[in-house]
Formats: sequence, C-alpha cells, structure tokens
Amino acid sequence: MSSRRKSRLKRAGKKELVAAEIVDALSKDELLATHLDWEPERLQALRELLDAKEPWPEHWHWDWSKKAGLLDFMAYRCMGIECEGRMQGLLMASTIARSSRVGPTGKAVLYVEYIESAPWNLKDLVDEPKFSGVGIALLEAAIELSEEEGFGGRIGLHSLPQSEAFYRKYMTDLGPDPNHQGLHYFEMSAEQARLFLEGRK
Amino acid sequence: MAVETTKRTMTLNLTDAEMQVLEALSAQKDLSKTAVIRQALRLYQLVDHRLASGEKLFFEDEAKRQKELMMI
Repeated sequence: MSSRRKSRLKRAGKKELVAAEIVDALSKDELLATHLDWEPERLQALRELLDAKEPWPEHWHWDWSKKAGLLDFMAYRCMGIECEGRMQGLLMASTIARSSRVGPTGKAVLYVEYIESAPWNLKDLVDEPKFSGVGIALLEAAIELSEEEGFGGRIGLHSLPQSEAFYRKYMTDLGPDPNHQGLHYFEMSAEQARLFLEGRK
Repeated sequence: MAVETTKRTMTLNLTDAEMQVLEALSAQKDLSKTAVIRQALRLYQLVDHRLASGEKLFFEDEAKRQKELMMI
C-alpha cells in the first residue's frame, strides 16, 4: 500500500489549486520533524497575539511531540498533508472502532483524536494564511482511512467550539458530551461520507 | 520514512464457539472478520501496555453508580 496519495489545497486569498500529498501513516520521526518545523512559527504568532492583546486560539497548547508516543501502538494512526515541501496539517486518529450513533447504531466508527493546520495556515494566528482547505483535505483522508479499515467511511470527533460550524456542514452534531469537557460530538455516517467524497470529485 | 503498512497473510484456527463470536461481532459492527481480529489485537496491545505500566482497567455504570475493576 502506498503511503502517499494525491490531494490538493488552495492558495489562500487566490483561487489557485495547488498539488499536495496525503502522507497516510506518519512515523514518530516525521511527526517530531513536523513539530519542530511548526513550533517556532506558532510561538512567534502567539507572542504577537499577546503583544496585540488578542485572544489565543483554543488549541494553542497542543503539542504534537507529546502525541508521538501514541504511534508506538497500532491503535493510532497519524496522517499529514504535505505541500511545497512542508507539512500543512496533521491528523491523529484512533483505529480502535467506536460505536456509531448516527444511522444504524453500533457500527464501527473511526475516531479523529486531533486535527490541526500548520500555524501559518490558521486565521486565528496569522493575518494572511498561506493555504486553505487543509481541514477538508484531512477530513477526506480520515474518511478514506475509515474505508480502508472497513468502517464504511464513518468518522467521529469532538470539536473545539471554534470549529463547530465547519463540522456541522458535513457531520451530525450530537451535542455536548459531558464526558469530554462538554465539547460537541460530531459523527459522519457512511451515507454522509459518500456524499462528502462525491462533492470532492 | 512513513510507517510500513504492508499486509501479510496467516491461517487462523478457531473453535466453533470462537467462530460464532467472531461472526456475531462481524455482523454487529459491520466489519470483516479480519477487521474484527485487527481490532482485538490493537485493543489488546494498548490495554496490555497500560496495565504493564501500572494502570488499572475499570468499567463504570453511571446509572447504577458501579465501578468494576477488570482483572486481566
């Protein structure tokens, strides 16, 4: 199985589509290299927000180097989207199936633990992001992983409040989860996944 | 280098009872039998590691206010 496949991103502010690649099973080394690449720009952007007395994004404390240990286990899979030589976004999924709550219940669902764009692509961090479409490309990759795992494209995740509107476009909002800091739980059924992938063609 | 994900084939010998459980889980979860076995392996690896690290595994029933320690 190939570890890379074609994807695309949009140069932010322009309509230009740019070729990108999904790296579908990142190693610990690759994840740590991405963390090292992102961290200086993230810290610089946070410092500028602090100086400007602007609020920090809700996930400012995420540290991918601390998640690298999860890749010692088959239960986790990390994917990235690479474009112009740099990782533009990361996604960590649990491949231990959760049970579906949308559509037929009790079916296998791929759970997305974390999903994040590179700091230079985040509107909350920079005035002019470099690429847009990172989240949607990674969501597509998660659906493809779900299919590959035999989960029928079903995916689930807990969303930070800042991202709820984005996920509500494609997934079913099952409301706040008291067992997950009150974050809303979103699920995409097999049918929603099929429609999503059709829309990406 | 990305993680190696090449698959290898093996033969699995199961009793009738084990096969029935496998088939039931396969139908219930809408997964192939291979996918069910993979799930079991992933879960086992994770749970075994955490238990070996000194953690405990509990099942909790909030409605009944019960917590049961799983002895594995």
